[in-house]
Amino acid sequence: MFRKFDESENISSTNQLKSSVQRQIRNTILEQMPSIEPYLGDLWHKKENAKVIKCHDHIEILTVGTEPLFFKQRDSPWYPTLKLLHKYPFILPKQQVDRGAIKFVLSGANIMCPGLTSPGADLNMETEVNKAVAVHAEGKINSLAIGLMKMSPQKISEVNKGIGIDTIHYLNDGLWHLKIVK
Amino acid sequence: MSEETESQLDNVQDNEDDLITTEEKSVSYPLKVIYCPECSLPLEYCEFMPEAVLAKCREWREKNLDVLEQEGVEMSSLTLDEPSGDKKRQKRGGRGNLKAKQKKEPEVVRIAKIPRGKRKFMTRVQGLATFDVNLKKASKLFAQKFSCGSSVSAADEILIQGDVTDDLIILIVDTWNEIDEDHIEDLGEVKR
Repeated sequence: MFRKFDESENISSTNQLKSSVQRQIRNTILEQMPSIEPYLGDLWHKKENAKVIKCHDHIEILTVGTEPLFFKQRDSPWYPTLKLLHKYPFILPKQQVDRGAIKFVLSGANIMCPGLTSPGADLNMETEVNKAVAVHAEGKINSLAIGLMKMSPQKISEVNKGIGIDTIHYLNDGLWHLKIVK
Repeated sequence: MSEETESQLDNVQDNEDDLITTEEKSVSYPLKVIYCPECSLPLEYCEFMPEAVLAKCREWREKNLDVLEQEGVEMSSLTLDEPSGDKKRQKRGGRGNLKAKQKKEPEVVRIAKIPRGKRKFMTRVQGLATFDVNLKKASKLFAQKFSCGSSVSAADEILIQGDVTDDLIILIVDTWNEIDEDHIEDLGEVKR
């Protein structure tokens, strides 16, 4: 989604949010990621004004202060950005890919089933289709991408072919480098 | 809390123990992740950068070893050298090498005079950012020195009200040592 993403080209507008809209967003985020609840207040103070950056392709990025925190596309759920996920790694369920896959994921490839089923990988069976997951890597602590499950874990281990997780946001992509000037 | 999240928390804690050897062992959020200033990734992912960037990462680590150690990072687990047994590492497929960061633009400051109406002009300065000049401060300085309006109008562009080209060249050279008169290009009168 952010493979080609440039501040000067892909951003159409930034808007201050009305407090009622903020409340709505806050609630949907809590609904989608309940485990973030004790910390949401820390990273998004009630008084602090949130902004939404509208980008092309119906992407919306929610920022508080100078940091982008969440983003979404069209009617997708809100995803946390990787920087946020690094700070609070428990907010998304994890999937682990093997070492060989890291290189490809870092250049934006979707995650193929074999990369999830090989010995170095760890397939989390408790994730659902069309849910956001944090993609971790063999031998690494921090997550390297955020993805959307395209197959159920059962199917992944059964079929073992094709795209298992759509890569949405990965280290070193356009969103990762997005700098927000106040 | 469901079992799943609990086990995840445990997992995090295990990882955290690897990271933090001193001080607090218990996890407190937010976690502090150290990013490499060269490639902007977490330290453990430096090794996947193209060779050109990797060299810089290495250099930075050597310089900052003591700082990193103070932060409790075990550098031994994060070596950038490929383990010798890793010769089988996949060499084909993918995009191969990630492109190194785009080349920096040639460092030139361009000054242009833009007509406003018949006999009034604006002065446009482009390229100051390539010298790591703080544009906001620069525009403030121009406004003060020339007693006129001045604003940062685009990513790397300052507009000054009035024709101040000649004074501006002198001022820029005087203020920023790294900018030489040769770096400044006077475009003359330009249509906007």
